[in-house]
Amino acid sequence: MRKYWKLLVLILILMSFILVISPAQQQITLRIIWWGSQDRHNRTLKVIELFQKKYPNIKIVAEYTGWSEYYTKLTTMAAGGNLPDIMQQDHAYLRGWVEKGLLLPLDDLVAEGTLNLKDVSKSIVDSGRLYGKLYAINLGNNSQAFAIDPELFRKAGVPLPSTLWTWEDFKRIARIIHKKLRIYGAAENLGDHNVFRVWTIQKGGYLFSEDGKSLGYENDEVYSSFYRMLLELQDEGVIPSRDVELARGSVSPEQRFICLGKAAMQFTWSNQLTAMSRALKNKPLRLYMIPTLNGKVGNFLKPSMFFAINAKTKYPKEAAMFINFFINDIEAAKILMAERGVPVSRRVQLALKPLLTPVEKEMFNFISIVEKYGAPTPAPDPERWQEIYNNVFTPLYDQIMYKKITPEEAAKRFREQVTQILRK
Amino acid sequence: MKKLTKKRKHDLIMGYLFTSPWIIGFLAFIIFPLITSLFLSFTRYDILSSPRWIGFQNWIRMFTQDPRFWNATKATFKYVIFEVPLRLIFAFIVALIFSQRESKVLNFYRAIYYIPSLIGGSVAIAVVWRQIWGYDGIINALLSIFGIKGINWLGDTRTAIWTLILLAVWQFGSPMLIFLAALKQVPQELYEAATIDGANFWGRLFKITIPMVTPVILFNLINQMIHGFMAFTQSYIITQGGPLDSTLFYAVYMYRKAFNDFEMGYASALAWFMLALVGIFTIIIFKTSKRWVYYEAEEGV
Amino acid sequence: MSKKTLNSIIYYAFVTLIAFFMVYPALWMLSSSFKQHWEIFSDVLNLIPKEPNFNNYKEGWQGFGGITFATFFKNSFIIAGLNTLGTIISSTLVAYGLARIPFPGRRIIFMTVILTLMLPMQVQIVPRYILFTQLGWINTFRPLIVPAFLGGPFFIFMVMQFIRGIPKELDESAFIDGADRFRIFYHIILPNLKPVVTTAAIFAFYWSWNDFMGPLVYINSPEKYPVSVALRAFSDPSAVTNWGAVFAMSTLSLIPVLVIFVFFQKYIVQGVTTSGLRG
Repeated sequence: MRKYWKLLVLILILMSFILVISPAQQQITLRIIWWGSQDRHNRTLKVIELFQKKYPNIKIVAEYTGWSEYYTKLTTMAAGGNLPDIMQQDHAYLRGWVEKGLLLPLDDLVAEGTLNLKDVSKSIVDSGRLYGKLYAINLGNNSQAFAIDPELFRKAGVPLPSTLWTWEDFKRIARIIHKKLRIYGAAENLGDHNVFRVWTIQKGGYLFSEDGKSLGYENDEVYSSFYRMLLELQDEGVIPSRDVELARGSVSPEQRFICLGKAAMQFTWSNQLTAMSRALKNKPLRLYMIPTLNGKVGNFLKPSMFFAINAKTKYPKEAAMFINFFINDIEAAKILMAERGVPVSRRVQLALKPLLTPVEKEMFNFISIVEKYGAPTPAPDPERWQEIYNNVFTPLYDQIMYKKITPEEAAKRFREQVTQILRK
Repeated sequence: MKKLTKKRKHDLIMGYLFTSPWIIGFLAFIIFPLITSLFLSFTRYDILSSPRWIGFQNWIRMFTQDPRFWNATKATFKYVIFEVPLRLIFAFIVALIFSQRESKVLNFYRAIYYIPSLIGGSVAIAVVWRQIWGYDGIINALLSIFGIKGINWLGDTRTAIWTLILLAVWQFGSPMLIFLAALKQVPQELYEAATIDGANFWGRLFKITIPMVTPVILFNLINQMIHGFMAFTQSYIITQGGPLDSTLFYAVYMYRKAFNDFEMGYASALAWFMLALVGIFTIIIFKTSKRWVYYEAEEGV
Repeated sequence: MSKKTLNSIIYYAFVTLIAFFMVYPALWMLSSSFKQHWEIFSDVLNLIPKEPNFNNYKEGWQGFGGITFATFFKNSFIIAGLNTLGTIISSTLVAYGLARIPFPGRRIIFMTVILTLMLPMQVQIVPRYILFTQLGWINTFRPLIVPAFLGGPFFIFMVMQFIRGIPKELDESAFIDGADRFRIFYHIILPNLKPVVTTAAIFAFYWSWNDFMGPLVYINSPEKYPVSVALRAFSDPSAVTNWGAVFAMSTLSLIPVLVIFVFFQKYIVQGVTTSGLRG
């Protein structure tokens, strides 16, 4: 036995030695993680450089990946207790992370002025608020939209719609275009939850209740009427049939029907306009709100993504300083432009105005229209939203469009299954 | 205690010495994930907070309340039943063709035949495969020559899985290479002797070639079966399990449960059910292998 | 025309026809990598770029914020190279032990090999991550290399099956000559395993080169990313993805594995030249 004790003591001495000789941390090191594409990585890294120049005592270590497996990495990191100090977070996942206590409440940092949100409107700030506390800072705004190809409208002899166009207008226009140009009037994935959410608001409710514990609409007719409309359009060939869409798999903005000249209107998020018009050799596209229900607007500003701080960070103040720099600094904003959606600070928006490309200008205008007419941003989704989306929403949507089930039956099942999941 | 002979003692030491890397590796890196995942299958675990013991709930839910589990199992079985034999036969035939001759040009062709297996999981494959089988894709264009109306291969619940089966068959490179190595290991003298005895190509094939490579056929069969049941990439990148779950591979469903729905406990239960199932098939194949696998060295494990 | 040349012509015509089906997607990727970004998806079927250019390669190679693909390739070579080396050394040793040495416990050891082969990767991600965190190995290459030196189940099983195809008289006679186990392994078994070891090397290199989930989870710093992870960092479906650059870098990433294949395959097809296998 004594031999082992000797060995143990030896190891302990070695370990303490390593601890002693490792250099004392002069500098503060913050880890930050985000998802994105090459463009976003480059812009963000430049802003980090700028920040480090301004605060030489803070070093920021960047970790970035693409979107598709981002949350696999992030949750695994959480399991290992190895989360970065600053994390880019998505609206749909936010509630789960807050409920698990993984994110730091930011109210104190705002109160003491480290995080300056004076130039951000209250409703935008509140999109990162849950259970009365602020957990995440919105980095840019998006909204649901129809991108419209004015050239195809001209060809079909259809005038561009008005800002507050209605579903009736939409159907009429889509049918004319389909008839005259032999292409889809509108595409694609129109039964997506993002359109359905807008529809529920127009019907006077929302997809989920405020507390995220139940569905946010009373009458199942809300659900069935929406899909009846789509079925009708699908049968007429005005929109792509679901089997055609599913055969194409998950398409990136560049592969959408409008980019192939096969549709005149395209459901999209406003910030994807850049990608789509790039694929069309910078052809000017226009953004319109989702059609209104006899004038009732259902569009809302959606935070494109957030920055949140790890609840266990050693340096909450420094992390907040970086986020503050990221959303408020004009030089930083000039690098970032609208890559993460339209910036949240009004001061920044004003400063960027003269620098915008035509496409970005269209995006900025569109967001200001939504700000003017739109509905308030709903509370973040229930924690189990992903499960609902994968196992209930999408399968039912597909089955309706494949005519394996009626919209009425689907509406009933949707309510049953969602209620069951939310009760867990 | 039986006294060990010198040779047996020597074998014992050498046996453990030779296999020690694996034993260390197994104890260090595998046993923990193995046991953890078994444990997790009896818990509710969303990865972000600690697992909670719920007994057999995951297992009960799997068999009684989860229609998508059955969809996934069905799709995976269908895939395995067709993909494994087709791929193996194709791989064997190509390996046989390649082993017949020897030339610089053939080296080039072999590389080309291996390319599909090399670009396996890339975005390009997803785009191209959809293009080939799309409504206005190459296959339908070929069919229209014969006056056959096009089919929406990937959008139809009956045909979508076949495009994935064919993709797997098309990526036959790995078993082909293993067969090729095996064919090249067959001693040439055997063939020479048989030719002198007057055996033709088919005689040599069935009397010498195939029996000599049966150990490798067994390996390929077991390995391809396990891989078939755990197939992930094709469904994940090309069809995302659709349409209507008709190509929802078991591993894809498991991955989604774990990392999209954050039900790692349930996903672990799914994993262990598959493991048990594959284990049973593996044992069956091993048992029957005694009848058809020919070992130069008699002692089987 | 003699029957032999006719046979040859049929043989090569057949092989060429199939080759076209095999190579089409790779050609598509290659041609897309030279296309302008608006051409890639609007003109999918066309294999000839309208305005061929190298921009995609230039833009792609830049990588992210000053870390170019030179770094990513270097990382991939280190990881895949060491992984391959480790796999070959350990798997042949273990396979020999399991296939040739009769010792109590080898059945159980073989069963653990097969069991490991059957455990899906998806449920191992989190426990393995926790394990490597405890070891302090996160954000190093170690989780991607060290396990390979301790043997991969696929490779062990594969080499075993090949060893069992080698006549036993061969090593038995050496045994009588007084050679020890290791000498037999090194001088008699290993030379006979050239085709399968080469096959294993090709697989190990390719799998490690292409492995995405492992490095994604274990490695945090982009300067340590291998190519597979860097490629995925290009795309975000909600933003602008430079598809041209994706295909350009995917094409480049294919070259090393193809070169390895072309270089090594001759050792497979040469077969075992050692004569007198059947003394």
